[in-house]
Amino acid sequence: MRKFSFLLLFATLFIASSCDDDTPKPEPAGDIQITFKGNYDGETFYTQKAYDYTDDMPVRFSAFNFFVANISLLEQEDATEETELIDIDFIDLGFDETQTAEAEAGVTVSAMKVPAGTYRGLKVGFGVPADLNRTNPVDYGSGDVLSKTSHYWSAWNSYIFSKIEGVADVDGDGQFETSEGEGLTLHMGTDATYTERILFPSSPIVVDEDGSINLTLNIDLKTLFYMPINEYDVNNDELLDIETFNGTHTDSELLIAKQLMRNFSEATALD
Amino acid sequence: MNNKNLFACLLLSLGVWTGCKEVFSSQDSRLSQIAYAPEPYPIQIPEGLPQFEPPADNPLTVAGVALGKKLFHDPILSADSTQSCASCHLSSLGFTDGKAFSKGIDGVEGRRSAMSLINVAFYNTGLFWDGRVKTLEDQALVPVEDPVELHHRWEDLEKQLRRHPEYPGLFRQAFGIERIAEIDKYLAAKAIAQFERTLISGDTKFDQVMRGEEKFTDDEAVGYDIFFDFTDKHPDAECGHCHNAPLFTTQEYENNGITAAQSFEDYSDPGLGGVNGKKLDLGKFRIPSLRNIALTAPYMHDGRFKTLEEVIEHYDAGGEYGPNVSPVLRPLKLNKTQKRQLIAFLHTLTDRTFVSDLETQNN
Repeated sequence: MRKFSFLLLFATLFIASSCDDDTPKPEPAGDIQITFKGNYDGETFYTQKAYDYTDDMPVRFSAFNFFVANISLLEQEDATEETELIDIDFIDLGFDETQTAEAEAGVTVSAMKVPAGTYRGLKVGFGVPADLNRTNPVDYGSGDVLSKTSHYWSAWNSYIFSKIEGVADVDGDGQFETSEGEGLTLHMGTDATYTERILFPSSPIVVDEDGSINLTLNIDLKTLFYMPINEYDVNNDELLDIETFNGTHTDSELLIAKQLMRNFSEATALD
Repeated sequence: MNNKNLFACLLLSLGVWTGCKEVFSSQDSRLSQIAYAPEPYPIQIPEGLPQFEPPADNPLTVAGVALGKKLFHDPILSADSTQSCASCHLSSLGFTDGKAFSKGIDGVEGRRSAMSLINVAFYNTGLFWDGRVKTLEDQALVPVEDPVELHHRWEDLEKQLRRHPEYPGLFRQAFGIERIAEIDKYLAAKAIAQFERTLISGDTKFDQVMRGEEKFTDDEAVGYDIFFDFTDKHPDAECGHCHNAPLFTTQEYENNGITAAQSFEDYSDPGLGGVNGKKLDLGKFRIPSLRNIALTAPYMHDGRFKTLEEVIEHYDAGGEYGPNVSPVLRPLKLNKTQKRQLIAFLHTLTDRTFVSDLETQNN
């Protein structure tokens, strides 16, 4: 009996120690934050500030916001391995000149834990991906970014992926007059305008165990307005003619909306 | 005062105090005999409206809604017991009062028009025209003490509610209070908020058309296109930017160009900017819902437009100049027929069933 007890104890200890070995150890991980900053022609962007759009046409923006989606880290340049960071979020860069600290700090989306390691690039989607764009705001609770009715356009059956609003002094009289039709309401949406960009920093993104890194994406609003000349019949040195195209609602303006969204790719730089 | 008088006074005070204590004690014991069995209020949310999300600390119950409804209509809420919430929020007028500025109990006019309460359950970006409170529970506290509204004192109203023949029992049924002294302004506001959250309207002709149960007339259909800009066939009146379905408000704050202003200092009513201190928000007001708009004249925060025709004329002209006027405003150049068609569409946003049901309940 004593021999049997000894064997039983030994077996129990052996099984217990084997179990310990099988318990998965937590993977080493660090924190990552993504910050979006708005610029206009290389300077910090402010709403309600007059900017030179062209030499003879100043513009004052009142809104610049957009959805971002499918943000992930890429382990290799071929984008075969992705570590997902953000499913969908909404970025509002509408800070005025009384909010210099906020404008310079940018908008940071929540910190995430990612496996420690070296990553080659960052993928960012601008807009709402097709699967989510099939839903609409009433499908979501009020705290969800997709519950915004201000960013849904039923005529398109689509979220408004980005809004750029302002007033351009089209007649050059020194006043920004919506009452004279100088308002600018560029609203972009529909699946065709969703854009993804892969950014490769000059040096790899290294996430240390228990470390914390911040990746900053600078988005230059003016760059969004550059259009290929032939396709869009523009006449302002490749900048969109905002006197003629001051809204993007209907099918006929979809090409403009598409190009504006496509330009997020060019307008975005990783610090 | 001699010692004898002083002693008599003290004795009298003690007598009154112990008497009161006994009254409250006996009422408290009667209160505990009333059953507290909260039953969830069976709220029906029409298809197409947003999710219903009452706060976790104030779920709707049958007794809570009933208490809120009674308080909402009871002039006990005003200092001279002549006005209630319902005095300025009449169900027949889409929970407005048909006036540019409502008058309080002292005959003094307020500075803004009474807002509709329809679908207020879904509002989550601030209440009042200037967004100065966040929740319905906070909102319900304000008009009682506002000198240009009910001009009462909560402290006094709480006493009136505690000594009322019915209210203690109703508060017990609604909130399970064990002592009359627990009746306070916060519970009253919770009850009123519960009732207001039941004012849900989603059975307009527009809703019926969206559900495939009805069809627009030709004029309404063109008006619908002008409102939302579905096609290039008709001009775009830009309405949908601010009055998007399903609530017909995006719940944002905008300056819609009704006040000419060369600078921010020219706005006599600061609106949102007066609340958050931001210069760029001066002259901005909460975008109101257009549901039941045909019932809620006059229009705008100051009731300056008496008819929908006047409203359309304002937007058609492109609005006045102002430093932060919404860029969606521009001269629309609608012709007479198009204006009529747009108004025909606006009339499809009236929920007759909702209004007549409430009128029946209140009679």
